[in-house]
Parts: sequence; structure tokens; C-alpha cells
Amino acid sequence: MTLNVLLVADSDSQLLACQALTRFGDERDVCFTVNAIPREGTPASVLQALERSGPLWRFTLRQLLADRRLDGFAAIGVYLTGSKLAEFRSTYHLSREQQRRPRRPLFCGFNGVVLERFEEAIAWRLGYDLICLNGPRDQARLELLLRHTPFQGQRTVLTGLGRQRPQEPGAERPRRMVFAEQVVMPAALAERRRLVRILARLARRSPEWELLIKPRVAPHESTFHAVDTHISHTLQESLGSPPANLQLSYAPLPELLSRSKLISTVSSTALFDALDLGCRAVVMDDFGLRHDLGTPFFAGSGLLRSLARAEDLDSLAAAAADPDPAWLYWVGYHPAFSPANLLEALVQLQAHPLTPLQLSQPGYVVNAADLSTNQLRRGAEIAIQSGDLEEATRLLEMAQLQRPDNRNIGRRLAALRLRPALLRRLALLVTPRFRL
Amino acid sequence: MRLGLICDGEPGLGACRRLGRALVQEGAAVTLMSTAPPECLPTAAEEDSEDALGWLPLEPLAAATSDLVQGLDALGVFLEGNAVTAFRAAHRQASALRGQSPCLLFTGPVRPLCGDALMADLLPRLGYDLIALQGDAQRQELEWLLRSCGRSAQAHTLLGLWCLATEPIGSATTPDPVLLVLDETQVPPSPFANGMLYQRLRSIALQTPSWQVRLQPDGPLPADPADWPETSLLWHGLQDRQRPANLQLGEGDDLTLALMQASACLGIGSSWLITAMVWGKPTVVLGDFGIRTEFNGPFFFGSGCLARLADCLPLERLRERPAVNADWLAARGWAIADGPARLLRGLAELRP
Repeated sequence: MTLNVLLVADSDSQLLACQALTRFGDERDVCFTVNAIPREGTPASVLQALERSGPLWRFTLRQLLADRRLDGFAAIGVYLTGSKLAEFRSTYHLSREQQRRPRRPLFCGFNGVVLERFEEAIAWRLGYDLICLNGPRDQARLELLLRHTPFQGQRTVLTGLGRQRPQEPGAERPRRMVFAEQVVMPAALAERRRLVRILARLARRSPEWELLIKPRVAPHESTFHAVDTHISHTLQESLGSPPANLQLSYAPLPELLSRSKLISTVSSTALFDALDLGCRAVVMDDFGLRHDLGTPFFAGSGLLRSLARAEDLDSLAAAAADPDPAWLYWVGYHPAFSPANLLEALVQLQAHPLTPLQLSQPGYVVNAADLSTNQLRRGAEIAIQSGDLEEATRLLEMAQLQRPDNRNIGRRLAALRLRPALLRRLALLVTPRFRL
Repeated sequence: MRLGLICDGEPGLGACRRLGRALVQEGAAVTLMSTAPPECLPTAAEEDSEDALGWLPLEPLAAATSDLVQGLDALGVFLEGNAVTAFRAAHRQASALRGQSPCLLFTGPVRPLCGDALMADLLPRLGYDLIALQGDAQRQELEWLLRSCGRSAQAHTLLGLWCLATEPIGSATTPDPVLLVLDETQVPPSPFANGMLYQRLRSIALQTPSWQVRLQPDGPLPADPADWPETSLLWHGLQDRQRPANLQLGEGDDLTLALMQASACLGIGSSWLITAMVWGKPTVVLGDFGIRTEFNGPFFFGSGCLARLADCLPLERLRERPAVNADWLAARGWAIADGPARLLRGLAELRP
């Protein structure tokens, strides 16, 4: 029987994570529908690729949660940022309860390697029926965080880092190296200029090669991190006229990787795409092992090379090694870890639904409970409507601690504190209510 | 065994003083090398062990290249960040130029850390002869770091919660119950957020006149209050012309005594919360901001002491707070009772 699964995502990287999952729909009897929440700056190429792979919806969260077709899915995968993840879980559960409609298993995951804030990210994801992790490294970290806590029963599944259909390395590939740019690694402008200069010198030393910088997003597009100075500007201001064989390319990354001998990156997940697509990989270690760059994650790969000290790209390509198999397994790039595990777990959940994890526990606070500012504000409005002004004040005070600069929270709270009651009622009528 | 301990200000200095005294009790001869003026060295109450804990006013890099360290059996380098790497490089270079073997070097985090912060702290320490970790949780994270970095081995030992004040304390009573609020000068990092938190605490003080609410800096503040950062609760307390009488501003030097007197302790991510837990004080790790990496949230996640401020009211409820999660505390290092002896054994095994 076909398993109908809905995937919900907003930013480009989350949509890419969904795209990687949909690839497995063809191999198994699964039909994926993706709902891309409308968002300014989402790269059109990503949406077009999703459209090609299956049904694509464009509902807002509010519209989606009200849509009765949600009941037609066997499971819902949510790929949003932390607070929105918590909000979706909480609102979905609440709406199902209120409407006495069936509750489908919810799962969530990560879009690629998790270089920082892993524990915080897990604290947002707790309470999902399944959390998809990349591999044993992430699983060990999650277990250490939850060990000896009431949340150690949280279910997880290892879905790996393979995102593309595997291709054999082709000997006839052109002499081309793709550099997968990341918008904040490195973040400092001086280091980004240095990065560009290193690439330019390498291109000059390798006239037979083409060196393509693949920007994370085009100048008019947006991604999870804000981009202050687009790499195209950095290239221009650092080099003036770059060598002819150093260029920017906005072609889809898989396409570029399929037609290149080599990829280089500081710490991008694109490295694993390259391995899928038979492209040799090099991790740039000219900035050293630094936590803020995410390079320690790759340190055991056996792929670290200095681009500044490389004689030329021929020598770099000749010296490019296969990644260390033990490291690949540890981080989650191994056939044992794939979305097939998720699909298997979802089938099991259909047969044996889980009791939801109880998130409210004395002595513990979980981001996923109701801690997002929006949740607190929504809770306060519900409390105002039901006349529980004390609860409304409590929730808004918490929201104000998180967002002290939000004037509407302050106005609503001031209205709640007004005496006498008539004045308070008037103030509550005129101050702006929270609406998602 | 003759040891030197290198540090450069807090929190390393306090940690090294505690470790130095503990090592002296284990029979080692220990010299503290720090530029901290003598008044920061052991207090009058600690003078018994002062005879054995030596002190040299040396800056870290001066110590790294000094002849004085060549006669030592091992050097403990309790610096942070790039200074850890620089010290080792300078010491090796100086030893090579003298044609001598470098000293045995050991190091370790000088504050309780986990996750991203621990990984960033441990990276420059890799390659030292011995890394002193606090507890089993840190040991596990070191193993993962080594695995990710492709390193096969790194000698390490468990020292316990050596960098915190955990030694038993006497009792001190006050007429009224005291809620001690640990004020970290940069947490939350915005003056506005601190102002909001101050207002909440002020309201609590007004609503609960039978309690004293004491805002206590968890580290040294500038002597002149005009220089206090706006991101501290104390700064907001100072601006408050109508501060309630039961809302007190503590001084940095009083921290230990204030903690002794406290009926309950509250903070966001201060290391001193662990001291309060160890001392059996009802402790609240403020959960209103959620589990946020920059607020040390992941470290305290499993402590069993998290609560929202609203759930602590009335303050009498603080006396019924759930106890700290003992398994969690043990894994942070509280289970290690013989850390200094383990360190000396570990160093002895590494000596050529």
C-alpha cells in the first residue's frame, strides 16, 4: 500500500532536505507531497526541482493546518527552524484534539551536517514522534543530552547524509573544481577576502583548469543566515579582475558536481553530495581547525588540504584521497543510514502508534513545550478570552523576557495590569492582539 | 612531584588556587604562576596551606620560556583559547633552543562546559601530554572530538569539579530567607532584556517583603559602579531610585558568604549554580529563555533544576524545589572524589 507523506518546509536549505527525502519515494512505495511555505527570496530553482519530483503545495502554516486533506497523509515531516518546529507540533496536536480528528505521526530532522547548537536544536525537536539524525555521532550526542532525564524515551532514526542518486566517478570529467561557498563560514569579511584570493592564486597556478565558485544563494535570494556581502561583491572588491578561469556559477550544484573532477569547501554538506555524485572532495584547511568554521567536523575525514600551499589543481586532484571509511560511518554517510530507515519506522508507527512524550516535567524545561514567543502570545490571548487574566499576564511576562523590544507585547501586558477593570477592558480592546 | 600551574586571571586563577592546595595535600610541591597580585592569592582563612603553595608573578608566555620551569616535573596550563596553543609552541621552541626536553604539559577546561563550548575549548588543548577533564560527560565528548578529528589517542584523566568551590561550608543564617540571584554580566546579552528581568525580580521583591532578594555578581565587577555593564542586573538595580528595601545589591567579594547565607539560589547559566546544587541549596536554573547555547542552557538541561520564574512564586515554593538530578551531577564530575590523586598518578605514568 502506498504511504502518503507530507513534508513541510520554508527556507531553501530545509526544502533541499525535503527534496533529498523525496528521492526515496521512487524506490519505495511512498508518495511525497511537499508544502513549501511561501517565503520571500526562496530560490526558484529549488521550487522548480520540487515541482518536478511530485506534488508541491504553497500554503501558509495557518492554511495548511486548517486543510482537511492533512488527514489523508500517513505521516507529516516538518523541516522548519526551531521555534516554528515547536509551534507546528503544538498547534497541530491542539487542532487535532479540538476537532477530534486523527493525529498522524510527526517527524523532523536536520538539513545536512549539524556543525553547532546541536543540543539546542534537539531541545526544540523533543516531542516529535521521530527525530531523524544523520548518524552515530548525532545519536551519541542526543543520548548524552537526554540521559538520566525524563526524555530519554525520545525516538530517533538514522537517515544518513546521502542526498543524491549515487553516480560512478567518471574518468572523462573536465578539469574543473567547484568551490561550495557558505555564507558565514568564514564570516569575517577579511577572511572571506583571503579565501577569494587563495582561490584566485590557485586558479592562476592552474591555467588548464576551470575553478567555479558556487555561491550558496544568488544575490537576490535568501537563505537561513543573513548575507551581508554577497560573494560576488567580495570577489569583485578583492580581485578587481579575477583570472579568466575563476568564475561564479549559479547552476544547480548536483549538475556542477556531476561534471567536475573536484569539489572543495570549508565545511559544507555539499561535500557529501559530491561523494554521491562521484566527485573527489577536498576540505580547505587554510583557516585551521576552528569551531566557528565547522572544520573540526571534517578533521577526521582524511580530506583536509591547504589550497594556498597546493602546487596547482593537478597536484591537488592527484593527491585527493578517499575519505576515511570509519569517519564516514561515524558522521552518517553509510548505506546503513538512509531515509529507508525513516520509512520503515513510519510503517511501524502506523501499526503501533506511540504514546506521546510527556514534555511537561518538574525540574525540566524543553524549548519544544510552549516556549516560542508566538506560542506564549497565542496562549495569552486564549487566556484573555477565557477570563484568566493572571495566566495571560504570566505568559506575556515570559514572552517579554524573550522579546523585550516587542512593543505590542509591552502594550498588551500594560493593558492587563490596568485598574480598574473597565479601563483594563478598554485597553485590551484597543491594543493589538496577537495573530499568527 | 614538582608542579607549576599557569593561569591568567579568572576563572583560571580561582580554579588553580583550589587545585594547587589539593595537590599540595597529596604531597606535591606546587607553584602558581600568575600575574595576579598577592591579594588575590589565598585568603586569611586559607593560610594553612599557603606555606606550601608557592607563587611566581609570571605572565604565561614569560613562564613558557623561563628557565624556572625547566626544573619542574610538569606544568599545568590553565589558559583559554589561542593562549593554550601559544604557550605550548613557545615552551617547545624555548626548550629546543636550550637543547632540553620540554616539560610535561597538562591542561583542561577551567569552567564547566559541554557541547559546542566544550569542543571549542578542547580543540587547542589536543596534543598536550595530558588533558584533565571534569567528569564522564566531558570524557565522552572528548572521545567524540578525537573520533571526528581522526586522532587515535589523547591521554586524559578525570579531575572532578575542581574548578568550582565545592568544599563543605559552614552554615550562616539570616533573619529573613534570602533568594540569591546570580548575576552574569553578559547574560542575557541585551541591556533591555536585563532591564525586563530586573523589573520581574523587583516585582517579586515587592510582593514578598518577608524575603530578601539579593542580586549577586557571579564574578568580579569594576570597582567603580559607573563602569558596571548595562547588561548586568546590578546596573539596573543601581539606576533604580526606588529600589525596594528587600532587593539588595551584592558585591563580588561576598559571593561565597552570600551563597552560604542563601535560602535558595537562582541563575541563568552561571557555574556557581553547580556550587549551590552541591551545597544542597534549593536551586533554580531560570528556564524562561529556553535552552539556548549562549546562555549555557545545554549544560543545565539535564540538571532537574530548571523552572520558569512564574512557577517559583510565591517564593516559599522554592523550599520545595525538586532535588538536583544526582546522575546528571555525577556525570558532570561530582562522582570523582579523588581527582588530584588521579592527576598525580596520570602524570607519574607519563614521566619519561
